[in-house]
Amino acid sequence: MNDVVNPAAAELPNQEIHQQIRKEYAAGFISEIESDTLPPGLNEDVVRFISAKKGEPEWMTEWRLKAYRAWLEMVEPDWAHLRYEKPDFQALSYYSAPKSMADGPKSLDEVDPKLLETYDKLGIPLHEQLALAGVAVDAVFDSVSVATTFRDKLAEAGVIFMPISEAVHKHPELVKKYLGTVVPQRDNFYAALNSAVFSDGSFVYIPKGTRCPMELSTYFRINEAKTGQFERTLIICDEGAYVSYLEGCTAPMRDENQLHAAVVELIALDDAEIKYSTVQNWYPGDEEGKGGIYNFVTKRAVAHTNAKISWTQVETGSAVTWKYPSCILKGDNAVGEFYSVALTNNYQQADTGTKMIHLGKNTRSTIISKGISAGKSQNAYRGLVRMNPNAEGARNYTQCDSLLIGDQCGAHTFPYIESRHPSAVVEHEATTSTVSDDQLFLCRQRGIDTEKAVSMIVNGFCKEVFKELPMEFAVEAGKLLEISLEGSVG
Amino acid sequence: MISIKNLHAKVEDKPILKGLNLDIKPGEVHAIMGPNGAGKSTLGNVLAGRDGYEVTEGSVVMNGKEMLELEAEERAREGLFLAFQYPVEIPGVSNLEFLKASVDAVREHQGKPALDSVNFLKTAREKIKSVNLDQSFLKRGVNEGFSGGEKKRNELMQMMMLEPQLCILDETDSGLDIDALQVVANGVNAMRDPNRSFIVVTHYQRLLDYIVPDYVHVLADGKIVKSGGKELALELEEKGYGWLENGEA
Amino acid sequence: MSTVFQTQQLAALNASNGWLTAINEAGKAAFAEAQWPSRKTEAWKYCSLKALADHAFDAAATASTTAEQLAEITQIAGLDAYQLVLVNGQLQAELSSAMALSQVSLFSGADAEQQTLIADRLQQARLQPGHHLFNDLNDAALADGVLVQIGKNSRLDKPLQLVSISTGDNHVVNSRVIVVLETGAELTLIEQFASLANDSSFTNNQTEVLVGDNARFNHYRLNLMESDARFIGTTLVDLQRDANYDSFHLGLGSVLTRNDLIVNHNVGGSHAEIAGVYVPKDSQLVDFHTDIEHRVAHCTSNEVFRGIINDQAKAVFNGRIHIHKDAQKTLAELSNKNLLLTNKAEINTKPELEIYADDVKCAHGATVAQLDNKARFYLQSRGIGEQEAQVMLSFGFINELLDGLKVEAIGDWLRPVLAHRFGRDQVFSAEQTGDL
Repeated sequence: MNDVVNPAAAELPNQEIHQQIRKEYAAGFISEIESDTLPPGLNEDVVRFISAKKGEPEWMTEWRLKAYRAWLEMVEPDWAHLRYEKPDFQALSYYSAPKSMADGPKSLDEVDPKLLETYDKLGIPLHEQLALAGVAVDAVFDSVSVATTFRDKLAEAGVIFMPISEAVHKHPELVKKYLGTVVPQRDNFYAALNSAVFSDGSFVYIPKGTRCPMELSTYFRINEAKTGQFERTLIICDEGAYVSYLEGCTAPMRDENQLHAAVVELIALDDAEIKYSTVQNWYPGDEEGKGGIYNFVTKRAVAHTNAKISWTQVETGSAVTWKYPSCILKGDNAVGEFYSVALTNNYQQADTGTKMIHLGKNTRSTIISKGISAGKSQNAYRGLVRMNPNAEGARNYTQCDSLLIGDQCGAHTFPYIESRHPSAVVEHEATTSTVSDDQLFLCRQRGIDTEKAVSMIVNGFCKEVFKELPMEFAVEAGKLLEISLEGSVG
Repeated sequence: MISIKNLHAKVEDKPILKGLNLDIKPGEVHAIMGPNGAGKSTLGNVLAGRDGYEVTEGSVVMNGKEMLELEAEERAREGLFLAFQYPVEIPGVSNLEFLKASVDAVREHQGKPALDSVNFLKTAREKIKSVNLDQSFLKRGVNEGFSGGEKKRNELMQMMMLEPQLCILDETDSGLDIDALQVVANGVNAMRDPNRSFIVVTHYQRLLDYIVPDYVHVLADGKIVKSGGKELALELEEKGYGWLENGEA
Repeated sequence: MSTVFQTQQLAALNASNGWLTAINEAGKAAFAEAQWPSRKTEAWKYCSLKALADHAFDAAATASTTAEQLAEITQIAGLDAYQLVLVNGQLQAELSSAMALSQVSLFSGADAEQQTLIADRLQQARLQPGHHLFNDLNDAALADGVLVQIGKNSRLDKPLQLVSISTGDNHVVNSRVIVVLETGAELTLIEQFASLANDSSFTNNQTEVLVGDNARFNHYRLNLMESDARFIGTTLVDLQRDANYDSFHLGLGSVLTRNDLIVNHNVGGSHAEIAGVYVPKDSQLVDFHTDIEHRVAHCTSNEVFRGIINDQAKAVFNGRIHIHKDAQKTLAELSNKNLLLTNKAEINTKPELEIYADDVKCAHGATVAQLDNKARFYLQSRGIGEQEAQVMLSFGFINELLDGLKVEAIGDWLRPVLAHRFGRDQVFSAEQTGDL
């Protein structure tokens, strides 16, 4: 333990988490903002329209069309432990932007106050003087980025942080060089779809030897009905650089399912480090399982020699989650980490996990996955650890725990382990547990009500993952779990 | 303080308590002894409001309030404390976090101001020291990996923090060696107060050498079959319970 | 798209076999429709069937064996057992003392009551999880099989040893065994699969066991075939109230050795204890798929598999534990440990949990590692050569499981077989690298 100024605060990390209990999905409001929304349907013209809307150069349009044509040949995967009505891709709108944003991103002063208000309500003030000190935010509303804070300050350090639609114009050489190198256009059904129609997202470049002076963060908001959100994030950390990046997501409560199919690509060049944290709080649907986001996301990172990638995710939202943030440990001594809490309640379904592909010598990976199932939900961990024939001395440790609350839910573990090197070591452990009546009675006898007791036990179960999150997010994550478990016990 | 009248209770449809009466005034210590299966542990669980213990008849009034109508946590907040015979482990939840939640809930209910973190921590450190546990136990998961004696001392420590009105010690002495027993007894004695009452449930007379009761009751087949002063415990130690069960009482 | 195998097998099917016609037809219809598994077929993801797909098998077996050859294969030293020997699917009466037992019979000799029992078991088997096209083929081709019935509260005074041998041919044997233990019955069954060198036959076996209330079944399933043999086997175990299943599975390795084991806890109070060892070498492939179905409350299972993969061999282990909604108070554990001896060897393991009940204790663990360097160094520091140290440690890794066998004679018999395998392999690879 480090010496700390206030020992009480240090020893009671979760007290704030327990301060309040909110009664419903607080981010579920709808913003009354006039939007330009493309009519439902998908074809080559729609792809061209989106590209034209962004004023993209020819190479970008062609890149999208190539992806679209590949997508037409592909079928939606059905191997996951998920049951849902497949989206009708022709019934969705592929582009929606607030009217006020028609001319592209502006300075903060010019942004529609209603948009700023939306983010204020979500606890993400975009005015720099009000913003969390040390966190720069890119706010993406439906299909466009509405504001990116602290750009000037970041520019001083040589850090590029801007909407990817802008990066295509301002830094085409970087985008061209890296886009689609980690997740190729035809990687999978949803990635191909994203490659064809992605509208916005964040672009980050950290120059050689630079430690990014502040946390970077993107906040995704789906507002418009019957819209898909297809954002694309590309983060490049040049040799010896470091960045910590946070991602947050919310959506209004709507009765129909909304589709979110994002692609995130991370590139950590030699000796670089990227820490990517997600608190995913998309609308999970109501207690009867109506509505909610379909979250079909492809996230993958490449770590070159001595580089390090760390994924931390807290997943409480979405009706259906299909997501496997992965690491390709390409260079020798590269390190990959995956820390995950996935909570499902009511009728939510999650099939999530990670892939650790060990290519280089002495590569190391750690997977800590905590799945919590409550209500009538289904929660699956699916992981792959692969030791390739050159992965001499590689190591993986996986710990995969499930907590079941109530006898109507399911918790599942599907770890694939493939090893082709005799000196590689893989260790996988999985356990299950429940919240017992004896534990709850002890808490109640000490005056702690059931809901609070469950929340404490669940937070305890997740501790190893929460400690990987940046401070502000750890508190947020704890609160989220508490809200998400409302009414699941007793 | 507390008045238990004609208490009947069932566990899984089996009657365990069959008309138990007990009156306890503020400041009194009542020992309840009895053979295995007499219903000793059931009494503690019924008073504390554990699920699965069905009260079929009777009343339990504490400080003018009917306890049987309250939830377990409400009874705790009213000042009823049960020291468990087998305290359960709660991995991942630190002792300190647990205590803070408990103390906050009880104090809030009783209209007392919340303890700020610094004062709370200071008190917790004093109390844990007074039960001879290392400070590190505050950071460990609740009872996680504690020995039997450590669990019992942890129960005592919680009792000290919560300052309850009525303390029910359920076989707190079982499995303790003499040294640990003395620590626990000293702690309990230090908490004796004209406004605080104790129900000490035990199978052995030994504990009562250290925690001297005002009254001793014998519980057999779900009822109090004999009551007396502290000398009754000695008599029981000498003669065993057989003479009572044979109907000579 | 049909493979040569599918086309050929389908053509070879006879229309009907008397009272088995219904099952023959059901199997044939399903087999005709079946998709040939590919890498995208989850249950066959890592199990290449190229040793079957385009291989043309001969229709009839012609090779013969000598009495000495058969004796050498069938004798387990120190084991006194009733034997039943099948060569290329044909009963060898003179080697089959078990045929004298009232508890052992052939499907072809079944009386009406037995026919009903057999038909019912066959029908049940078609509904089992993981049912695949080779099960369909087995049903389609079914003409005869072995039935073992142990009556209420009784047992055989000796283990029953069932030996299937294929003998230097290139044909297909579909074999079928049904075991029924009535309430309180006990049986030790040793199923042994062997082949002669250069035999490239395909054995498609299916063994179904019903372990009745409070009955005990000790099961040894030993794949001891030579390198060219192709083997696909399915074991179905149904456990009734308080039944006990104790089993050991060995996959020595061949060009294709695939085993599926499905254990159903059907009533309550039953326990399954499952151990297994696989040791493929050269270019062999061994695949074990196990599936423990906890369908009801208060059952327990414990499963341990260990594998050593040498040369450019490949092993697959898929261990599934499925806890159904009503299976509260289940205790289930699974452990799979693997050693890779070379950088051409490959292991693919997947311990799976699928849980729909909350008050259960389940755990699984899987490891892939090399031999403990500290242990190896310790042996070397005592003057033991590196090669020998490796042999000793590898052998120790699986010997732990042999030590736990209830029929000690089997452990004693297998120990030198496995020790020799490692010893010989090490000498072999040493020769290759010129270390000798």
